[in-house]
Amino acid sequence: MSAEQIRKLVLLAAIWGALLLAPYWMVPLGGYTALATRVLVLGLAAMSVNFLLGFTGVLSFGHAAYFGLGAYGAGLTLKFLVASTPLALVLGMLLGGLCGAILGTLIVRRRGVYFAMVTIAFGQVFYYIAFQWSSLTGGDDGLRGFSRQPIDFGLFKLDILSSADNFYYFVLFCFALVAGAMAFILRSPFGRTMIAIRENERRARFLGIPVERHIWIAFTLSCFFMGFAGALYALVNNFADPRGLHYSQSGDFVMMAVMGGMRSFWGPLLGAAVFVVLQDYLSSITVNWMSFVGLLFVLVVLFFPRGLLGFLQRSKA
Amino acid sequence: MTQLLLFNVTNGLIIGAFYVLMALGLSLILNLSNVINFAHGGFLVIGGYIAYTISPYVGFWGALLLAPPLTAVIGLAVERVLIRPLYGRDPLYSLLLTFGLAFIIEDGTRFIWGPQGKPVTIPPFLAQPLSNELFFITGYRLFMVAVVMIAVALLFQLLRYTRLGIRIRAGTLDLETVAALGINVQMLRSLNFAVGIYLAGLSGVLAAGQLGLEPTMGTGLLMPSFIAIIVGGIGSLPGTLVGGLLIGVASGLTAVFLPAASEAVIYVLMAVVLLLRPRGLFGEEGMMS
Amino acid sequence: MNVLEINDVTKRFGNLVAVRDVSLNVAKGEMCAIIGPNGAGKTTFFNLISGFFPPTSGNIVFDGRDITRLSTHERVTRGMARTFQITEIFPELTVFENVRISAEVAGGYRLRPWIGRSDAAKLHAVVEETLKLVSLEGKADRLVGELAHGDQRAAEIAMALALKPHLLLLDEPTAGMGDQETFQVTQLIRRLHRESNYTIVLIEHDMRVVFHLADRICVLDQGRMLAQGTPQEIATNESVQAAYLGNAA
Repeated sequence: MSAEQIRKLVLLAAIWGALLLAPYWMVPLGGYTALATRVLVLGLAAMSVNFLLGFTGVLSFGHAAYFGLGAYGAGLTLKFLVASTPLALVLGMLLGGLCGAILGTLIVRRRGVYFAMVTIAFGQVFYYIAFQWSSLTGGDDGLRGFSRQPIDFGLFKLDILSSADNFYYFVLFCFALVAGAMAFILRSPFGRTMIAIRENERRARFLGIPVERHIWIAFTLSCFFMGFAGALYALVNNFADPRGLHYSQSGDFVMMAVMGGMRSFWGPLLGAAVFVVLQDYLSSITVNWMSFVGLLFVLVVLFFPRGLLGFLQRSKA
Repeated sequence: MTQLLLFNVTNGLIIGAFYVLMALGLSLILNLSNVINFAHGGFLVIGGYIAYTISPYVGFWGALLLAPPLTAVIGLAVERVLIRPLYGRDPLYSLLLTFGLAFIIEDGTRFIWGPQGKPVTIPPFLAQPLSNELFFITGYRLFMVAVVMIAVALLFQLLRYTRLGIRIRAGTLDLETVAALGINVQMLRSLNFAVGIYLAGLSGVLAAGQLGLEPTMGTGLLMPSFIAIIVGGIGSLPGTLVGGLLIGVASGLTAVFLPAASEAVIYVLMAVVLLLRPRGLFGEEGMMS
Repeated sequence: MNVLEINDVTKRFGNLVAVRDVSLNVAKGEMCAIIGPNGAGKTTFFNLISGFFPPTSGNIVFDGRDITRLSTHERVTRGMARTFQITEIFPELTVFENVRISAEVAGGYRLRPWIGRSDAAKLHAVVEETLKLVSLEGKADRLVGELAHGDQRAAEIAMALALKPHLLLLDEPTAGMGDQETFQVTQLIRRLHRESNYTIVLIEHDMRVVFHLADRICVLDQGRMLAQGTPQEIATNESVQAAYLGNAA
């Protein structure tokens, strides 16, 4: 094995080591397990956004909508359909993904800022629906009245409701599945066409890649991932928030990806960790925390556009 | 029935006029500099609050005259310091920057002027309705539409006949060539931005008189402005004008039959336009990226 | 058998007629050079062939099939590969990765989430072969964006070759190059033509290159096909000389 491969393996081991042992090293540092769970879920969302933004190079900004749809899908499933956590996750993912697939067909012929504008506008449609259809969604108050169900493995039940640690490991497992799928796709021939489109769209087209179709596929995939992350998020607080659909939430996810490093696979997770911790801390010490978040955006954009992991030479997908 | 229809369509046109003013400013900045100014709503709020602050000294008319240019000056400073460094880069960054800026402005105004709404006094003769029949057409609303019309007319005159206007239009089509002609593109972008912010500030003063003043009033107007641009067609100012009026009227009409859907209809309109005519009603080919 | 048949093609942009009633037949294995003064419509003509936009009138037949209404990527999948005046490559990927993407798309893998080991090995071999053809095998792991101009062009040509094209369209392949690099690229194109029998259409300004390589030269002037013929015929053609009067060759 080459030095490069060994380096990557060590890095990977370190990351997974940290993730697996999080409930143990977080507490002495003043953290708590639920925080780690939140970071994982939001990190997954940021990675899903980056799937499109960093790896395909498409300026998609309205992604929170699919996150929110996933959350509502999971919540509604648990509240009205059947008390099954896996099913809630699947249906949440499907809701987000399918809406993304349909809207994607309308959007993919645009590019650049126009694309961003349209994705934002469409995202807002769902925000609006969540607010207005209050009989179903709870309106402004959000969707409540459901909770994550213990998972029945036949031989035993995993109680993820009352045990924060159990839930963390469940979420970590889900994270591993989705992150694994993402990595798998990015390493595949299809993944390479995504990178090609990012590197030089014209050349990609002149190699015979139907660019719009590939962007639609990447868009749809990232919406499925977002939906799944959103479904997990609903389980974190047993609550689905309409604000999770607002474009400002999209901005947060994009910022996490940028802060962590858009060209790296794990960057968005790191960005999410920093963002969540910072936001938690700031909102506890000042009521004007929003302007600090805004300031963070401004500073990162002006001075650290490559993000924390951006100093790495090149990150192969 | 006709009374109701008239009421709502007029309402729609008035709101539409408002969207037009906001959307035109947004469109100017978007077309020339490829920047989606998320902070546009914030500048609207700044305009309103500046008007509120200076009106005890210069009256309503003084505020109307002075607040927009003052807002434009702030806009100029913002453009020079924060946005200019980002022009060569991926449009993602200017997007994120204006995004963060919007947060800062909202919280900032809340910090300076407090979270409560502030009352803005308008001259009493404007507050009178036109007649008992048409009670909803207050003098102020007519006044607002009049101001918008004058502002739009002046804007189009500026773009057609002044040197700045011609350069802006040329720059929108081909900035490289404009630069090659020896024109200072940095200054052009700054001035263009300032004009856009002027319009936002003006909207703020007008809105303050109609809706009252509070830190979050800008965000509600940002989305419809976006949609006005998308519907009208990116790259086309007349399109933005039509788009704004169209969504205003559509919203008003829907309020007659399905009040709950009056906000949603503008999104439906956008979806329909994107399906049938992807570049917008007056959009130009190749303005997509 | 004609690989390419262009029949009375015209392209209008509003009131501007960029290309007017141009016809051209390219036989298999032929190298055809398109020359003409600046503004003659050469690049527009190329854009018509490669599918940037449809012609206002006329049609284009490729390998016996009418492709007039086909999009760019559809023409590429049918066997048309193109390089650009300003090299279009993937700058932050290695030479190997650049050509591999090309080979994968050509091999039908573009949508696959997975590529088996033997298939991957086959593609690897194809990439290596192609790199040898353009003499870049020693630089396979270098980032394309860091290479010298001439090598970048070779890489771009390699990407085109990996598509196994029936027709190579080269848009000013020696643009912006010094003597040494021009020689390098010219030799490469010559090898591709003489040894590998590729059908090539190229736009060139450098007359040394054109007269050295081409079987046939087509002269465009103000959107019209002024003359077609062998290098000797064109060199002695008076109207061609008149069109170029004042333009250094």
